[in-house]
Amino acid sequence: MKRIIALLLAFMMVLSLTTTITASAEEKIKLTFFHRWPNEPKGPYMDEVIRKFEEAYPNIDIVVIDPVLNDSYKEKIRVLIGSSDIPDVFMSWSGSFGANLVKSGRVLPLDDMIAANPEWSGKIIDSQWGPFQYDGKQYGIPWSMDGKVFYYNKTVFVELGLQEPDTWDEFITVLKTLQENGYPHPISAGFQAEWAVSHYLGAMVQRRVDPDVVTKDYALEGDFTDQGYVDTLNSFLELKEYMNEDPNSVDHSFARNLFIDGESVLCLMQLAEIKRVEDGADFEYSFFDMPALPGGLGDPDELEGAPEGMMISAECEHPEAAAEFVRFFISEENGALMTKMTGELSCVEGAVNPDSVSTPIQLDAVELIKKASGTTLWQDNAVDATVASAFMKGGQLLYTGDKTAEQVMEDVRAALELAKQK
Amino acid sequence: MQRTTRLQGKKRQKTPWSAYLYVFPMVVLMGVFIYYPIFVNFYYTLYNFSAFSLSHTFVGLGNIRLLLSDPVIATALRNNIFYCLISIGFQVLLALGLAFILEEPLYRRFSTVFRTTYFIPVLISMTIVAMLFMQILSPRGLLNSFLSLFGGKVRTGWLGRSSSAIFCAIFMSQWHSMGYTTMLFIVDIQKIPTELLEAAEIDGANRIQRFLKIVVPLVREMFFVVMVTTVSGAFLVFNDVYVLTRGGPGNSSTTLAVYMYDMAFTQDRMGYASTIAILMFVICVILALTQRRLLRTGKG
Repeated sequence: MKRIIALLLAFMMVLSLTTTITASAEEKIKLTFFHRWPNEPKGPYMDEVIRKFEEAYPNIDIVVIDPVLNDSYKEKIRVLIGSSDIPDVFMSWSGSFGANLVKSGRVLPLDDMIAANPEWSGKIIDSQWGPFQYDGKQYGIPWSMDGKVFYYNKTVFVELGLQEPDTWDEFITVLKTLQENGYPHPISAGFQAEWAVSHYLGAMVQRRVDPDVVTKDYALEGDFTDQGYVDTLNSFLELKEYMNEDPNSVDHSFARNLFIDGESVLCLMQLAEIKRVEDGADFEYSFFDMPALPGGLGDPDELEGAPEGMMISAECEHPEAAAEFVRFFISEENGALMTKMTGELSCVEGAVNPDSVSTPIQLDAVELIKKASGTTLWQDNAVDATVASAFMKGGQLLYTGDKTAEQVMEDVRAALELAKQK
Repeated sequence: MQRTTRLQGKKRQKTPWSAYLYVFPMVVLMGVFIYYPIFVNFYYTLYNFSAFSLSHTFVGLGNIRLLLSDPVIATALRNNIFYCLISIGFQVLLALGLAFILEEPLYRRFSTVFRTTYFIPVLISMTIVAMLFMQILSPRGLLNSFLSLFGGKVRTGWLGRSSSAIFCAIFMSQWHSMGYTTMLFIVDIQKIPTELLEAAEIDGANRIQRFLKIVVPLVREMFFVVMVTTVSGAFLVFNDVYVLTRGGPGNSSTTLAVYMYDMAFTQDRMGYASTIAILMFVICVILALTQRRLLRTGKG
């Protein structure tokens, strides 16, 4: 008898492990949302907009999946997309990152939604749609736009009578002058995280190499043998003697802090980082985009940088509610709020206005983006991950002295072969 | 109980059917999460595929050929071997020595303080430890400030050099984990009856002889357990290296697990990642079998 009771108890315990807990019947629509900003300043902004949305739409419940930072986000979203737990609404970078997500077949094309809401969609800045178009369809709505520029300490420049350089030679002259005038490390950089290398190389390759060759090579249809690549890498290496000690051992935020502290005079950063610089720097600053490289065949007015945006899952049970949510976020009002609270530049026309900016420099930033002749995607988004990795790691090894530019390109060519087999 | 049953002749109790019922859930879990993936890996290695799409391209032994000629695998293996040797030195040998010293009657008064000090790092999460060490090893960090005391401004970027990056990760690991194995050995040494050691001392054995002739043979089983976990841990290490250097600069500090992760989730080459997983599996099996052989001869 005792044995039977014991068995029954054990059986029930096992059963309880497998039973799912069903929530009480709810008429509320649930949307899962995944983003990459758990921290200030964007974390509170996200929470605020979600709260406003739930207030305005009491029948929709937004369930936020635990947000994680940048690199972890890249990994987690890939895992979630591959699993059955794909979030209803999620954030994505454009270019090849978005392309990978779309390749899974589980992202919803949004052309219908855009066409049905022309007043809303017409407000989004034109140049930002492109990076989210795949196979002729629009898969993401651009949310924040960005550009990668050399921030510089204007106070120091004025003091030493320096001008914003237009060409690489002028740029090196500026660095030399700074070195001779009390700034042993005029430019700061941190390459511990590989992507920081790709932000340099991406812009420099675009400036130096024939755009048709780049397009072919990045599409894995070329052979990466152009001399321009080697020249680009050597120009990149040229900067080493003007940088802080061993950029490979520090990360980007360390480099940014060196700039904010006034120890370095230049730093390649994203326009989205304006607020951080604003909050910390006690000097006047401005920015210029990547100078033209010697022998450069690429358009010197293109701006490196790409929008980040929102995507909707094709398996979302309530696509109309998800679309409402996206339109609520990417609106003039909430775009202005984003610029105000986080310093990021909203893609919605008019969102970045004298009221929402914390510093008029942000208006300059928007002008710079609108003025640019085109967008150069982040290199690790513009080309296959294996090839991008060869460039990024190659850049790191160039700086440690383990590889020459020619050897790095050999690795890139080997990576090309592997990428083609994928 | 079973022993007595066997001695009572050939009478053995038949295993009641309920025993199978109790064991069943665990067998299912292990089958699904451990054995199935291992076997499926052998299937996956024959294909190239991405995490995002369902299409598989058959490549036969291509991935295995790639593995054998990949210079990064050689680097990763070399790093794992360094890991193994240094970990044995610190977490097994030094830990044992440390445990013996702490259990010596002379130091027993301070023993608790030291034990706690050595053990606290074990309790700190690896991510925090890595962030801590990134600060210490930074060109303007504590280590360089300390070395600068001996003359000259030291600004070496320890984490940014291919020659030193992996050793930074290895030594961080030792700092983090040594307290744990020391504790294990302390507990084991405490089980040794004090009379044995006292008798030896009276007979004229010095500390080293007491250590080698009494303590070492008596902690043999714990020694092998710690050896097994340390060695297999060294070949499977991921966390420590990934959080500190991500395998960089370039691939100089990568290990098998970090490289596999890179292939699978950053470069989207699942088939090749499966191949690396198989390599790790083979290495662990060889180590386990070697271990079993040594254990048997050890116990005999």
